[in-house]
Amino acid sequence: MAVILGQSLFIPIVLAPIAYLIGRRAGTKAGWFAFAVLAYSTATLLFAAMQGSDYVETYPWQPIGEFGLKLDGLSLPFAAIIYILSTTLAVYSIPYMKRKIEEDFHNHAAENEQAINSKTGLYYSLYMLYAAGMLGTVLATNLIQFYIFFELMLIPSFFLIAEFGYGDRYRISMMYFLWTHVGAVVLLGAILAIGFLTGSFDFAKIATSTLPEGIRTWIAIAVSLGLFVKLAAAGLHVWLPYAHAEAPTPISALLSPAMIGIGGYAFIRILLFLVPSAYPTIAFWVSIWGLITMAYGGMMAFAQDDIKRVFAYSSISQMGYIIFGMASAYYIGVGGSVFQYVSHGTGKALLFMAAGAIIMQTGGLRSISKLGGLAGKLPITATCAMIGFLVIIGVPPTNGFQSEWMLFFGSFAGALQSGAQDRLIITGLALATTPLTAGYALWTMRRVFFGKLPPNLANVKDPSAAITIPLLFLAALSIILGIYPDLIVERLIPLLSGVIK
Amino acid sequence: MVELAFPLAPWLVWAIPMFGALLIPLYAKFGDKARDYIAVIFPLLSAISAAMMLPLALNGQIFHQQIPWITSLNIKAGVLADPLGVLMANIVAWISFLIMVYSIGYMHGDTNLTRYWFFMNLFIGSMQLIVLSDNFLQLFFGWEGVGLCSYALIGFWNKDKEKDYVGTVGHTAWGFAQAYSPSHAGMKAFITTRVGDVAFLIGILTLFFYSGTFGYTELAAEHQWAVELARSGLLIPVAVLIFGGAIGKSAQFPLHEWLPDAMAGPTSVSALIHAATMVKAGVFLVARIGPLFYVAVQSAQLVAPFFQTVAWIGAITAFLAASQALVAREVKKVLAYSTVSQIGYMMLGLGVAGLSSEFVGGFVAGFFHLTSHAIFKAALFMGAGVLIHATETKYMDEMGGLKGGMKKTYFAMLVATGSLAGVPFLSGFWSKDAILASVLDVGGIMAYGLFGLATITAIMTAFYSFRMIGMIFFGKKSHHLQEMEHHGHDVREAPTVMWLPIAILAAATLTIGVTGPFFEGFLETAFAKNLKELYGMQIVEHGFALNPIAISASVLALVIGGFFGYNYYIARRSDPFRMVQSNAFLGGMHKFLENRWYIDALYYKIFVNAPITASNVLFKGLELGVLDKTNVVVSKGAIALSAISNWFDSNVVDGIANGMATVSTFVSGRVRKIQTGVANQYVFAFALGIVFLVILMLILL
Repeated sequence: MAVILGQSLFIPIVLAPIAYLIGRRAGTKAGWFAFAVLAYSTATLLFAAMQGSDYVETYPWQPIGEFGLKLDGLSLPFAAIIYILSTTLAVYSIPYMKRKIEEDFHNHAAENEQAINSKTGLYYSLYMLYAAGMLGTVLATNLIQFYIFFELMLIPSFFLIAEFGYGDRYRISMMYFLWTHVGAVVLLGAILAIGFLTGSFDFAKIATSTLPEGIRTWIAIAVSLGLFVKLAAAGLHVWLPYAHAEAPTPISALLSPAMIGIGGYAFIRILLFLVPSAYPTIAFWVSIWGLITMAYGGMMAFAQDDIKRVFAYSSISQMGYIIFGMASAYYIGVGGSVFQYVSHGTGKALLFMAAGAIIMQTGGLRSISKLGGLAGKLPITATCAMIGFLVIIGVPPTNGFQSEWMLFFGSFAGALQSGAQDRLIITGLALATTPLTAGYALWTMRRVFFGKLPPNLANVKDPSAAITIPLLFLAALSIILGIYPDLIVERLIPLLSGVIK
Repeated sequence: MVELAFPLAPWLVWAIPMFGALLIPLYAKFGDKARDYIAVIFPLLSAISAAMMLPLALNGQIFHQQIPWITSLNIKAGVLADPLGVLMANIVAWISFLIMVYSIGYMHGDTNLTRYWFFMNLFIGSMQLIVLSDNFLQLFFGWEGVGLCSYALIGFWNKDKEKDYVGTVGHTAWGFAQAYSPSHAGMKAFITTRVGDVAFLIGILTLFFYSGTFGYTELAAEHQWAVELARSGLLIPVAVLIFGGAIGKSAQFPLHEWLPDAMAGPTSVSALIHAATMVKAGVFLVARIGPLFYVAVQSAQLVAPFFQTVAWIGAITAFLAASQALVAREVKKVLAYSTVSQIGYMMLGLGVAGLSSEFVGGFVAGFFHLTSHAIFKAALFMGAGVLIHATETKYMDEMGGLKGGMKKTYFAMLVATGSLAGVPFLSGFWSKDAILASVLDVGGIMAYGLFGLATITAIMTAFYSFRMIGMIFFGKKSHHLQEMEHHGHDVREAPTVMWLPIAILAAATLTIGVTGPFFEGFLETAFAKNLKELYGMQIVEHGFALNPIAISASVLALVIGGFFGYNYYIARRSDPFRMVQSNAFLGGMHKFLENRWYIDALYYKIFVNAPITASNVLFKGLELGVLDKTNVVVSKGAIALSAISNWFDSNVVDGIANGMATVSTFVSGRVRKIQTGVANQYVFAFALGIVFLVILMLILL
């Protein structure tokens, strides 16, 4: 058996120390190295995807079970978007982090060249570990393996915030670590319980065994709660606005759409594929929670002045959409939820990257009240930000529309099929909250890019190609997936329709 | 399937401007002239493609073609060129083309024209996508594309200079400023129509659930979905929800408030929005779904509530908007209110179609009015643009006495306004009369109510039409104009590139006016075949006949409204301004109408201020006040919980604790030292640890 997925997962991990060494010697060249490694890994991943509808590599892993890497209709969209974003953002990081790290040295850059270089190297080695950690979670075929990678993505991101973030970064990184870790521990409890009750941690074996009646609801609740911290469901979201606003911007652009949405993947994988019996009991309550998260995150976005905090709260709201869809109890709704992960991935990454471009070009301005009229000065950034906003509002021809209609359709269909009035009502309410997204998105767009230009910003320009090309690439990707959604759903929908009708 | 001389035509009609838009930034590299002309060529090519489909409509034939799209859900993309689609496509294409030609002159000298041409082309392409799609999902792409382009074009002058504001700065209603900046107006348009779009989406998704398809032909072929919808009591809600999309896009009550402020965009954009695209999309949608629902049920009685809703919304909107046009000061606002009002007439026509036993009458009347309105309203807006350029003001009371200096514009606008007012033997006369007649055909008390509203609206229409012409072209020149002339800025007629499109449209208004009954007969024949073939409707053609009550009502309305308009604004026998000032009742009415019945202010109060206030209160109270405090609980809880998970945590949490210790040393002053390596090495060692752990795991495999 050829090792293909093994390469895409382990090459970035094994080569991470090399990035550090390159960084020490040659500074930003480490960024190009990370880009090359991740681009190769993305290529191998997509190559594996082309081998057929389900692509699996397994290795014996005693005594825990099997160590497997699996690309099926469900994991492919997640895996692909994680690596595509990581690769794109590696390029974006090169100019952005160069500026950021130099600023951290209070412009004493010349005297501290060695320290800057080694910090640059550190950034890219952590970055590669982080990307591989995220990929590992969605490819795992064993619960313990899943959990290891779930933690593996947490640790590098913790250091990335602590070492490279803004503001009160040490305290915030601790907060981030503790919150998500508490969630992970609750999840671990559920994972261990599943393992002991079914006698195996392998997905394939768990799926064929049944859990005792009394405990399965509790397991489902524990899984949901554990994952909802990562998904930042309303009430468990307090860490997110801090972490995502104060992380270095390329990391915000990975944290926000790619990482937290993995909670959605795990929910679907565990509760729909592995222990489906408890899903119907909790689905209704989960969808209510999703609805609250949608509305709450959207409302909070209105009350922010820091542009990155607007996007952070917007991510909470978008996670509400994902939670809502995955609780729809209908295959198209769950599929829409997965698709929403992809859409939010491209859209929110675009927005954070645009915010980063503004921060870079205006000399660190983040407060919306100090911005305005930038469309004329930053036309490419403004265009890409607009496309990002259209994605999260769900306007065709972007992928945001395709995912949102499937998501809400699924919810309606689930409600109509079961004849449950209450579910019909909450779906209506959920749709009624969607203009909220349009509201804060366009309002932010207007306050940042339209209106009067503050006089101190008269000389602002669009950033260099290493920033704008990644932006344009993701903007194009959003539109391509919007016009041709089969790239995402062609394998996903049939797979889900076999699991949940 | 019917043969089409050029089978790609229905695709190209929308694909050329849509993908052409993407090329405009490239052509901009070859200079402004190249860009401007190429931007006009795309709509021309699109219009030629549209014209190639005309033989289909003339023969009442249907061309339908599909390609696979979302295969996993069995959704296809396709084009449907039936007479309705083909005629609509031609109206849109040719009027848009003229507006684009006009734009060359009107927008000359503006910066950022690349953006302008890009969105104008995309606008036309999206509209044609709506018109020629064969299913709701694909239509929705065009639908939102139109919304997006209107957002971008209404807010085109996004620097929000005060001269580009719509409304009078300083004018407030209930403390809400009634002057909107372009970017505000664009946003308002987008969000308001979005509300309708959400309703629309719910409607088509429910339809999809019951029928498994978005396609019109599939829905028309098999009616099981309607039976099941009716059984679960959702038939009328679904139809009304889909109509909600039309309410938003076509600015009907209660979602009409975005349109008057959309006047913040360039006048050429207003012309495009009002005449050919955007607001007509809603009318077109109703024309698409009307027959679908009408034939899907056993007896038309079952869907009557839907058509009653359409008719009443149309009549109420027509009345509401016309009343506001009576007092508007800005020439573009008069035209904007009048658009809302005239669209109301079209909705009324399409609504009563479904209430009568012979569907085709109201259907033809609605579409006929759409055609005549598209033509005369495009002419009016372009004329208004010429006036605003020439007089450097948007207010009618700052114009006046322009009849002599701008003869061509005067004549063209006179014809177009006459058509709006319903002067006999102009296009609007016939089409409005057709709507009134089809309302009467329904019979019953409700029909008389609708008829009454429509007639009162016609009186107001005649009044504000005369008022507009009088204020602009008659009387003495205003102080503003005199001052301009004093400074050597004479009021000048528009260049040919702007004037010619207006003249063509005025000529079209006259032509349709002269041939009105024949034109109506042609539409009836085409649509009768259309409805029969696509929906299996049994249509009895009546040919053209005048309804004496309808015709006397519309002539009477013209006489009454025209008399007052003429008296005050053309003959200027008394000063209406002084009347309003001296009479408390009239003054109050004037203020009420000027403040748009306070609906706009009410919406801002409920839907804008309240949520923002609530958000801020929630943020300060709940988010920062309560939830933020959980951080302490979590950090304490985490220490307690960490005992549960054993092997991994003992590594990590200890590591973190150490990390924190290191961190606190750093914080206490030695900032320099963090950067110089100790932390880097520590963190790197940690990362290396992870790498070794993973490699170890690999070896263990």
